[in-house]
Amino acid sequence: MTGYIIRRLLQFVPVLIAATLIVYAMVFLMPGDPIRALSGDRPMSDAVQAQLRDQYNLDDPFLVQYGKYMWGVITQGDFGTTFQGRPVLDIIQQGLPVTLTLAAVAFGFQAIIGAIAGILAAVYKDSFIDRFVQVSLVIAVALPTLAIAFLLQLTFGLNLGWFPIAGIRDGFVSYILPGIVLAAVSTGIVARMLRSELIEALQSDYVRTATAKGMKRSRVVTRHGLRNSLIPVVTFLGADLATMMGGAIVVESVFNMPGLGGQVFRSIQAQENTIVVGIVTLFVLFYVVVNLLVDLLYAALDPRIRYD
Amino acid sequence: MHDGPHQPWVLGWCGPLRSAPQLRNEKLIIMNSERVLNPTRRRRGRSAAVVGGSLALALVAASCGNGNGNGNGDAEASEGGGTISTYTCEPQNLQPGNNTENCGSRVLQQLFTGLTEVDYETYEAQPAMATDWQTDDQVQWTFELSDEYTFHNGDPVTAQTFVDTWNWVVDPDNAQATANFHDKFLGYEEVVNGEAEEMEGIRAVDDYTLEIELVEPFGQLPIVLTYNGFYPMPEAAFDDMDAFQQAPIGNGRYQMDGEWVHDAEINMDRYEDWPGEDPGTPDRIEWRIYNDIETAYLDVQAGELDILGEVPPSRIGQIEDDFGENYSQNESSRFVYIGLPTYQDDWEDVDLRRALSMAMDREEINEQIFEGAMTPAYGILPPILPMSRNDACEYCEFEPEQAAELYEEAGGPSEFTMYTDIGTGHNEYVEAIANQWMSNLPVDDITFQSLEFAQYLDLHDSREVTGPYRLGWLLAYPSAQYAMEPLYTTGAASNNAEYSSEEFDEAIREANFADAEDADELYQAAEDHLLEDLPVLPLFFQDYFIVHTDRVDNVYSDLSSYVRVEDVTVDED
Repeated sequence: MTGYIIRRLLQFVPVLIAATLIVYAMVFLMPGDPIRALSGDRPMSDAVQAQLRDQYNLDDPFLVQYGKYMWGVITQGDFGTTFQGRPVLDIIQQGLPVTLTLAAVAFGFQAIIGAIAGILAAVYKDSFIDRFVQVSLVIAVALPTLAIAFLLQLTFGLNLGWFPIAGIRDGFVSYILPGIVLAAVSTGIVARMLRSELIEALQSDYVRTATAKGMKRSRVVTRHGLRNSLIPVVTFLGADLATMMGGAIVVESVFNMPGLGGQVFRSIQAQENTIVVGIVTLFVLFYVVVNLLVDLLYAALDPRIRYD
Repeated sequence: MHDGPHQPWVLGWCGPLRSAPQLRNEKLIIMNSERVLNPTRRRRGRSAAVVGGSLALALVAASCGNGNGNGNGDAEASEGGGTISTYTCEPQNLQPGNNTENCGSRVLQQLFTGLTEVDYETYEAQPAMATDWQTDDQVQWTFELSDEYTFHNGDPVTAQTFVDTWNWVVDPDNAQATANFHDKFLGYEEVVNGEAEEMEGIRAVDDYTLEIELVEPFGQLPIVLTYNGFYPMPEAAFDDMDAFQQAPIGNGRYQMDGEWVHDAEINMDRYEDWPGEDPGTPDRIEWRIYNDIETAYLDVQAGELDILGEVPPSRIGQIEDDFGENYSQNESSRFVYIGLPTYQDDWEDVDLRRALSMAMDREEINEQIFEGAMTPAYGILPPILPMSRNDACEYCEFEPEQAAELYEEAGGPSEFTMYTDIGTGHNEYVEAIANQWMSNLPVDDITFQSLEFAQYLDLHDSREVTGPYRLGWLLAYPSAQYAMEPLYTTGAASNNAEYSSEEFDEAIREANFADAEDADELYQAAEDHLLEDLPVLPLFFQDYFIVHTDRVDNVYSDLSSYVRVEDVTVDED
């Protein structure tokens, strides 16, 4: 098991290097001159532009630029700065807690609500509850994220006034609406996935045996049915947690949250290479770590799976 | 000042053009009734009476409603108090010498006081840190400074402070974006070329006397000095600029409370030792940073945010339903035009450009695309400036038949491409113009090319634009000089049309050389050249809609579209 984990961790290195290289190249290849765009259609003086290009190595060829960046990262832990001199680490330090809290709230929502809805729908298959769950989940999956966001903002923020419309000034409460929006689609998928898995499991031989032995229905469902239905759901939840960083870009923007998602969006537009690389690499790192954890969870859920 | 929707925070204020509001309810028509009933109003009348009907109303209503007035020289203003929260977008930076965008400069205006200030009624320079100034020849200037100003850390602000700050800003090593605003100072070139450490034209005669020597006469200097690129910076700034801009130490009406919380907020309290005549009214200003004006609009509705100075265009139709009387329409200097690349053979002929201009129905575009929420442009100088005229442009009248004839005679192209920057909703009005041209002129086909802003600028810089393009211009300081010189003089940095006219260059020089008091007619003469030659076709001046909560009053914005937050009064707290 330990050997397996070490091997997986070592695999991170080439993945991260490739990620930085690809992201750096993509931002590099964007058309237009970021320094020229910095001041809009009233250009800064040539001397100032030259100084900035020099400061941010923008006149160097791609590999030299990338090399200088990586050299700084590796030797000095210097992840670069914005064109305004703000360190990338500073940005990450400020934005990461916001994005992580948002992701945690969303993850909790989709795991809990998704699981409850899925189990109820499976256990009371073809009943009103099942139909209700299915219909509401189809709506959640089908509605565009932006529409859900505005709907919740208008209903619970503006009209009812239960939750803040935007910002994070009110602490944890501020994360609830954006968390729900971020989780909406996945909650539907989790519930439907769990429903079909659980229905299948409940029709299997071992469940029938357990029921025949006179076991309580609740115990049959949770211990025998649910445990075996969880593997695909956990896989999905893991992958989804990792991709949540991408969804955060839209949600953070609509709810005006100072997280990393909004930041990376702005930095791409401003072609600020170092920030985009720093944050996207962080997202990639998050993704591979979550994937590793998911793989390890399999072993816990299914005794037949062994890593060595 | 740029018109650049290349980044979201900029998009915030350029956003009002993002989509075309549809005519939604009758209330809107009532709101704009003045214009609907008398669409030529803005063309005939001028100046004070015309400067934003609703702006004037808002001012009157406010000063009647409570005794605080609008703060301009009004001693009672300081009796205000209370806390207001107001919208801004994430600033690029908070260094006065490095900021050329809206999100930051409206914040800096509260933190710093320059030598001169804009009088928002006359749009002339009024004394601020400089109590008086003299010049005989518009070249040698002497500014007498007040000895009462201190930075928020207690350091005095002296003539030497300005000398040090400006030299620092101009030094290319410091890469300050406003450096070239200083280019008329004697010695600027030498410092930029590394031949000198300091500009020889800027001298502190004693602690409170500053001498400025220019390379040529420039009567607009006092109004230019209102710009944030000329604000003084304390010693502490030069020691550690990064730390400084997290909580700028200024000499203005308000001082920072805590640090700038990126993407979230900037808070400031009134600086009680500010010695000027018209201190800020609110005790405290909280800038809330939004990256989406739609969200900010909802927050004002919910009472979470007091003031939003840039209502999104999609909301203008419902603004009265949502806010009743708590809104106003304010004129700004933001000039949106269709430029023509005169460097291309196709567009060299002046008759062609006149024909295009006369084939544009500006009123119709304003009504159909913007529900009358803009001010159609019949000149180059913004109507908000006192010397602007609305009847100077002979070729801006809608004369489709004459235009078609002229276009035919000049042998105008039957097919061409129009250029815009994407993601900012400029497409609607650009396409509307194209449709007008196709129906009024012998033009068969117009194709469109939309580019990201950075790419768009590159295309202009490399002179590869082949057809009409849209761009905008916002005044950094209220001078006719700034509305024309950087855009139309031969070889000027923002002269994307590559217009070149000796007569115009000479006219601008003459106006610049003149004393400010005599300059108005000279700038009008310069504008006449532009309106004859039409290197750009005036389209409209943008109006900004402000919404606010019940608890604040006297909310209006200036020519840069900035809400004058220092004049806002709080009704209850």
